[in-house]
Amino acid sequence: MTAHLSIRDLSKTYPNGTRALKGISLDVPPGMFGLLGRNGAGKSTLMRILATLQDPDDGTIQLGELDVIRQKERVRETLGYLPQSFGFHPRVRAERLLDHFAVLKGLVDTRARRDVVAELLRRTNLWDVRNQRVGTFSGGMRQRLGVAVALLGNPKLIIVDEPTAGLDPEERVRFLNLLSEIGEASAVLLSTHIVEDVEELCSNLAIIDRGEILLAGAPAQVIGEMRGRVWRRSVTRAELPVLEQEHAVISTKLLAGQTIAHVFAEESPGTGFEAVEPDLKDVYFAVMSGHRGARAAAA
Amino acid sequence: MRFGEVFRYELSHRLRSVSTWLYAGFLFLIGFWVIHVAATGTNPTHVNAPQALAETTALFCGLFGILVTAGLFSDAAIRDRAAGMDPLLFTTRLRPAEYLGGRFLAALAINGILALASPLGLAVATLMPYLQRDAIGPNQLAAYLQPVLLFLLPNLVLIGAILFTIAALTRQAIPVYLGAIAIFIGYLVAANYWSGITNPMLSALADPLGINALKAMTAYWTTSERNTRLIGFPSMLLWNRVLWLAIAAALLAVLQRTFRFTQRDVKQRKERRPGSVDAPRQVRPAGAVPQVRDVFGSRTRMRQTLAVMRQSLAEAMSGFAFPLAFLATIGLVVLWGWNLGESVFDTITWPVTHLVAQVVLSERAIVIPWLVIALFAGELVWKDRETGAAQIADAAPVRTSIVLLGRFLALVALIALFQLAFLLGGILLQALQGYYAFELGLYVRILFGWHCVEYVLLAAFAMTVHVLVNHKYVGHVVVLLATFFNHSALYGIHHLLIYNGGPALTYSEMNGFGPFVTPFVWFKLYWAAWALLFAVVTMLFWVRGPELGLRQRLATARARFTARAARIAGLAVALILAFGGFIFYNTNVLNAYLPPQKAGLPQAEYERRYARYRNLPQPVIDGAELRFEIDPEQGAVDMRGAYRLVNRSGAPIRSVHVETPSGRDYEVRSMKFDRGAKAELVDAEHGYRIFALARALAPGESMRFSFEVAFRPHGFRHGGSQTTVVRNGSYFDRRLLPFIGYQPGFEVSGDSERKRYGLPSRPSMPGPGDATARRYQSGFRDGDRMQIETIVGTAPDQIAVVPGMLRRSWMENGRRYVHYSSRIPETFGTAVFSARYAVKKGQWKDVALEIFHHPPHRANLDRMMSGMQASLDYYTSTFGPYPYRELRIVEVPPYSINARAFPSALALAEQNFITRTEPGLVDLTFFGTTHEVAHQWWGGQIRPAYAKGRRFVSESLANYSAMLVTEKVLGPAEARRVYDFQMNRYLQRRGETGKDVPLLKVDDDMPHVSYGKGAVAMYTLREQIGADTMNVALRRFLEKYRGSGPPYPTSLDLYAELRAVTPPSMHSLLTDLFETITLWDIKTQCAASRRLADGTYEVTLEVMAQKLRADSAGAETATPMNDLLEVGVFAPGKDEPSSLTRHRIRSGPQTIRIIVPHEPSRAGVDPYRKLIERERDDNVVDVKTGG
Repeated sequence: MTAHLSIRDLSKTYPNGTRALKGISLDVPPGMFGLLGRNGAGKSTLMRILATLQDPDDGTIQLGELDVIRQKERVRETLGYLPQSFGFHPRVRAERLLDHFAVLKGLVDTRARRDVVAELLRRTNLWDVRNQRVGTFSGGMRQRLGVAVALLGNPKLIIVDEPTAGLDPEERVRFLNLLSEIGEASAVLLSTHIVEDVEELCSNLAIIDRGEILLAGAPAQVIGEMRGRVWRRSVTRAELPVLEQEHAVISTKLLAGQTIAHVFAEESPGTGFEAVEPDLKDVYFAVMSGHRGARAAAA
Repeated sequence: MRFGEVFRYELSHRLRSVSTWLYAGFLFLIGFWVIHVAATGTNPTHVNAPQALAETTALFCGLFGILVTAGLFSDAAIRDRAAGMDPLLFTTRLRPAEYLGGRFLAALAINGILALASPLGLAVATLMPYLQRDAIGPNQLAAYLQPVLLFLLPNLVLIGAILFTIAALTRQAIPVYLGAIAIFIGYLVAANYWSGITNPMLSALADPLGINALKAMTAYWTTSERNTRLIGFPSMLLWNRVLWLAIAAALLAVLQRTFRFTQRDVKQRKERRPGSVDAPRQVRPAGAVPQVRDVFGSRTRMRQTLAVMRQSLAEAMSGFAFPLAFLATIGLVVLWGWNLGESVFDTITWPVTHLVAQVVLSERAIVIPWLVIALFAGELVWKDRETGAAQIADAAPVRTSIVLLGRFLALVALIALFQLAFLLGGILLQALQGYYAFELGLYVRILFGWHCVEYVLLAAFAMTVHVLVNHKYVGHVVVLLATFFNHSALYGIHHLLIYNGGPALTYSEMNGFGPFVTPFVWFKLYWAAWALLFAVVTMLFWVRGPELGLRQRLATARARFTARAARIAGLAVALILAFGGFIFYNTNVLNAYLPPQKAGLPQAEYERRYARYRNLPQPVIDGAELRFEIDPEQGAVDMRGAYRLVNRSGAPIRSVHVETPSGRDYEVRSMKFDRGAKAELVDAEHGYRIFALARALAPGESMRFSFEVAFRPHGFRHGGSQTTVVRNGSYFDRRLLPFIGYQPGFEVSGDSERKRYGLPSRPSMPGPGDATARRYQSGFRDGDRMQIETIVGTAPDQIAVVPGMLRRSWMENGRRYVHYSSRIPETFGTAVFSARYAVKKGQWKDVALEIFHHPPHRANLDRMMSGMQASLDYYTSTFGPYPYRELRIVEVPPYSINARAFPSALALAEQNFITRTEPGLVDLTFFGTTHEVAHQWWGGQIRPAYAKGRRFVSESLANYSAMLVTEKVLGPAEARRVYDFQMNRYLQRRGETGKDVPLLKVDDDMPHVSYGKGAVAMYTLREQIGADTMNVALRRFLEKYRGSGPPYPTSLDLYAELRAVTPPSMHSLLTDLFETITLWDIKTQCAASRRLADGTYEVTLEVMAQKLRADSAGAETATPMNDLLEVGVFAPGKDEPSSLTRHRIRSGPQTIRIIVPHEPSRAGVDPYRKLIERERDDNVVDVKTGG
């Protein structure tokens, strides 16, 4: 029943000249889909366009049979959207608010609506605070209430824009668990700049930067393609510039005072390097630094 | 250094903001518009006269400027917090005083510069070539600058300080706006009450904006003074300014001491942070959410609409703003309405429901619904976006039209709630004033019927503006300004072209909304169609998702313009055309449409075409038989009648000119003479017909002229409904019947109007001394006294009344008829009344007294009855016999007249029946009755010639007579109250209208002279020569001219009788009072007393006196004074002088010494204020006791 989302040649340029999307094409199958990219990559613009709140300059979006750009009303009927930044009227009680959105989402039957609202409150663990004013909620609680709103009305497509920003690590984990549950029933498009979010949850992902999709695929597949090509070596700070000149350094990080550099190479780059089992971070940095994906292909 | 940086930073921020320039534009437009509105009026004071500019600048520009001030100062104080920059800023080395001072002064500097935009707007507007040139005088730079320095800038400091303090302490915008509104409304409320402060210094100082001081200073200024004299920098105003600037400084000092850089949240938001809960560790299985099928049908849409409405309403009503505003509204209604009863037609009335609903709730308190609509429309448009809820809600499957409709319904509900507050406030007001006859049904009809429709349409407009403007604060300002100007600039434009326009309405207790309902309904349907079109536009431009500039919004709108939207827009346009067409058919096709400024055009054309017949010999009417068939349901009357025409001209008359009302609702069905006659000219458009007689009417010969005419209105008119014949309370006079010959009384009067229509300027009336002055007794010259027979048929439940003697009344064909005839020959005035009357009967000697009144209007009947009896008593014994056997009072709706006297009958409008009296207030029911009864002598028996000064004979004498009866029945204190009232009326209106002439030459349009000064002058003269002497003169005058004219008496004939009885030593007083405009100015500078050896006291008064003569434009020149005046000395605790002596008072300073037997406390010249003086409060001063 879940619909396939297909994006073709999507472009968007803002009046100030910023090209937020440059002809993006993407297929989002049912399940969790991670959209990875740093701040300003065009994620939110894409999300808003998918959420019918903005029109692209060019391109088409199909959600199953529906044309997302032209049939906004119909799309909204099957849409759950949790924006990056949002608010609630602070003086309203949580349950009342959810009930309100339920009517807006077309749940007009009173008893059924009450059940749905109650169940969603329980699922998001907000049942005990349902009579509390939303203004008193913590960030995580608010975020979960947002998810509850997004889940109303059995959406086929759920768009979640940077949901974990600002959550503490524990809360983040639990929140992601919640999302993964949802992902089983619908297509969930999750945008984030945190690699772990995607790694832990998504069955598919795409990396976006400066309005372009640099890489798309399943995490296992893209990681697998890197296997045996990532090497590691610890260097001193002084050695780093030389290393960067000689090798394709994809990332460096500090570990106990020492700099550890990951290098991309088809075979061992030399002594002092040891092979590393790659993770999604390596993929991400390799793509962003132009050693893998669309940019590498273009170079 | 840091202070300077704060200042510069703020300044440059402001200069780069678009809103700054928008504010400048608004302020400019306010000035620009005010001139346009003022220039359409008929005020003789130039719109750019220094006094007018000062008032406009201080009041309009100042009050509307508050809106801008609120925006600027709240932004300066709150912006950091809103942007979250305050923690960074407050942790620098910046000190609070530097921060506050820099911000405040920068905002003040910007606002000071912006404020100049409104005088600039005023000045530019005066240069607009299309404005009436005679409304605009020469521009003087100082006239613009002085108000800026005196009012605009100091008030800015004060209001800025208040709002800045509120903003800095609360760190929220809403309290600032509420504060601004409170100042705005508070000022309007207080303005109602300053008149109550009797101490002039205190009253001038109490006004924080200084406008009261300005008003007090210029109240009695004449037109020429207003037009030329600069306000200058009078000390009273300067003291006021100093006082309030000091208060502003004190406020800022308090702020500086209280303000802390700490963040308020830490302290206050402890209230409730109840237990937070974590996300579930174990997520419940997905299947647990019931799989409800959502349906998107019409039922869903309805539920969604209601959900949006409910949510928006709950949101708007939560928090403290709504309950506060609700209670404030109730309080304001009571405050605003408290003096309601004192201001209607100069009478003191009960706070009856329709007055409360109309005067208080729709005129004085009109700003409340405006503010509610503007502010809540803005809230409803913006709330979701501000809280961020829009981010989610916008993606919900709800049609934009439903989002809009739900919010609009919430706004409608809010309007209804505030109408409820109005209702409660109105009832509270009535109850507090001891009036308990609450008419809930009428309240509901007016508040939830008429007004709600008005406001709902306004709400549609407000929401559209807010959505299109897409800037909350600018939206508020645009809505308020548009509403304000829409309200005040309607003049002269077809109602179809001004949003929410329509003819004004008058409520009558007798007739309800009567004839006004039909046009109201059609006009509102028409505007509702516009509102629907607006709704489509709003839907197209409603922001959903991130805002992306104009181009994107246009693109979105284009995309949203679906077939359905197009269909609705099409429907709206079709309805606009249909309703508009129907209205146009009624106002412009069935009825003649003329914009108000051209209303006199047909009259002018009448004069242009036929004035050449002005002196053509014509027969006069010598007897009339009339039959009226009134149809109250249709608002129509059919008239049949016959005149006996006599040739009194001395020459044969070959053609008869007949004049009727013009207009499409007047039908002439037949006109016949009892001899051969041919219609030579028929000009129905101007109501003029000429019949050539087959055989000339010889001198002294008479003939019969019979006619059938009808007044049958068609549809409704543009300029209000016809109120001549109505469902209940018809009243019309002979003007519906044919006249014989050209009637100068129909000509356009008033110089400026004549000029506008291109008619030659000429005196509208001869002067009292002119050779021809005594020939006519009216502008309608086709008859003198005559026998009149009148039969009137009306609806069976109504009583018809005609002045005269009731012969018979009967039922016929289901209608009720009366037959009246004149007891003695009467002036042909023919008034006809018909309504569902109750009759109160009484008796005075052999005269039957009757009051025909609206059944519930019983409160004043006894006072009217006793007024009639006391008047008849006094006048018959003082002036001469009353010629009739009946005297009636007939109530009429408040459409056309307040009071009018006919032979043996007085017509009094409704308001006279609801006036009340209280100790300390003039009993105007009694006074009004005695005044109208006096017209049975002055105006009835004595009919003054149609010449300037005729109102001196009729109105001055009637008012004087009424004062005599009042004095006799209610005592001298009451008479003195009436006297003060008349004096004030004269002086104030003379300043406002700029019209003043000597009493003997008084024009018809100067009631303040004929009624006000006339009564004062006669009363003052009586004090000098004695009542008996006066009455001898009046009796002689009456005996001499009682008979039929011509010649009719002029003001000079009355004056001659007065002069004959006045000793020559006092002739100069006659000259001062009657022949000239004379103003005295007497000031007792100080008074001191000394105890003499014999136990008496010597009081020494230092007096300054002068006497001024004014010309008709108000220019004054001093004239030597040498008058015998009263000097009074008051014993302690006494209101009446214990010693009253007469002294000659000359021009200039002088000393007066009086010996009194007791210790004096106060003393002064002219203690009873009998002289015409602008400043009467300085006549008497406290006596200082010395050595």
